[in-house]
Amino acid sequence: MKPHILVVDDEANIRELLGQFLTDCGYRLTAVASATEALQAVQQAPPDLIISDLQLEDADGLEMIGQLKAVLPDTPVILLTGVLFDPAVVSDSLNGRIACYLPKTSPLAQILATVRRLLG
Amino acid sequence: MQDKTIRRVVAFFLLIAAVLVVLAVQAVRNINRSVASSDWVNHTHAVINEAELLRAALYVGDGTLHTYILTGDPHDLAACREALAKVGEHLEITKALTRQEPAQHEQILQLESQVNQRTGFIGRVLAARQTGTPETARALLAADTGGTPLGEIGRKIQKLKDEELALLTERDHASFLQAQTTRWTVWVGMVLDMVLLGVVAWLIADDLAARRRVAATLQEANAQLETRVRERTTELAAANVRLSTENLERQWANQALEHQLHYNQLIVDSINDLVLVLTKAMNISRINPAVTHWTGMEPTELINQPLTRVVRLVPAHAGTEAPMLDPIAQAVKAGHDLRNQPALLEDKRGRQTPVLFSLFPLRDRDKVVGGVVTLQLVPPVAATKA
Repeated sequence: MKPHILVVDDEANIRELLGQFLTDCGYRLTAVASATEALQAVQQAPPDLIISDLQLEDADGLEMIGQLKAVLPDTPVILLTGVLFDPAVVSDSLNGRIACYLPKTSPLAQILATVRRLLG
Repeated sequence: MQDKTIRRVVAFFLLIAAVLVVLAVQAVRNINRSVASSDWVNHTHAVINEAELLRAALYVGDGTLHTYILTGDPHDLAACREALAKVGEHLEITKALTRQEPAQHEQILQLESQVNQRTGFIGRVLAARQTGTPETARALLAADTGGTPLGEIGRKIQKLKDEELALLTERDHASFLQAQTTRWTVWVGMVLDMVLLGVVAWLIADDLAARRRVAATLQEANAQLETRVRERTTELAAANVRLSTENLERQWANQALEHQLHYNQLIVDSINDLVLVLTKAMNISRINPAVTHWTGMEPTELINQPLTRVVRLVPAHAGTEAPMLDPIAQAVKAGHDLRNQPALLEDKRGRQTPVLFSLFPLRDRDKVVGGVVTLQLVPPVAATKA
């Protein structure tokens, strides 16, 4: 069965491009625009991996990740955001809450490599 | 089958048919000749037989004449008359048989005259014996006034028979030669037909072999073509996937860049301090919304205007009226910062507001291409305005 990935981002073109890319790469994808939809999607079909933006329309991304981790503690989360931080700082400060931080300027190939690494 | 082979096969079959037609015509002609020859042989035998019977009847008539002269027996007389009647009968038959052959018919006519003379003489002797004495008949017989002697007539009949037999021999030889010719014709025709059929069979077999070779070659070419098509299809599919991925990657990079620009714009626009970007000629090229807010001027009124249009540095020494712009130009030229210099911001209506002036040179690869000016409102003013 194809691995299931949940993408949470309030920008439609991000969801569309990332969804098409990961689907072409052989993954089953669910893309939502808000934290509320993400929580519903997790209850309906638990994903194997979550890719989330930091800034969402209806909630803070880190708060939502905390709620999702409460439901799926073993599911890895990639924080994909355009807000520029030093990756080392982010990894240190969010250690235990996310598996990986990637800027939105990262190439798709790098995102795919990270997804494959986290899904084993 | 190839057109050339079809034409050849058709030509050979036509040739075989022509040979068969020749054989059939030859066979029919031979049958007709055989029938005619058989008729002629029967006819000739009939002539020979009648001639022989004629001669025999003559001899019988002559013999019974002599007997009757000696005996005077009516039975001998009857036998003689019967023999004479048969002579006439056979003579008529012989004439009828030779009517279609002028030379023989002429001979029979000559023979008829002599035979009639002889039978007439015999009839006269018989009459003399019946009416007179035997001596009278003998004397008449001795005188022999019957024309051609019986032996001569017999030789003529024999000659006629010999001629007919010679013709039979000649006809038999001709028939033999004809039969031989027919045999040779039939055998040669059969052998020729067999050879032609063999050639046709070889042509068809050769054509079938050529077709098999062509089919095998075509099949191999098709297999190679299919392989090349599969390889090319795989290459195209891989290229399509690669292009699709590259396209997605490009779109992703574009959106990331747009997102970043938008986010940077948001940051700049959200700053409460006034931000002005200067060209190297100290003209305004860009402002943030705070500039519009604090000066009351629209961007179109400020773009490409000198910085002095909105701000002046406060003179460092009291009593000096002239604005001090030279330090700004010097800083831009030298690429030095100016930080927190006291200055006056002038709005659209000419009202002046004290601000702290800072300048940061804009560098592009170690080359100063302009500067960024930030104007921080002095706290009491900022609090009042806010």
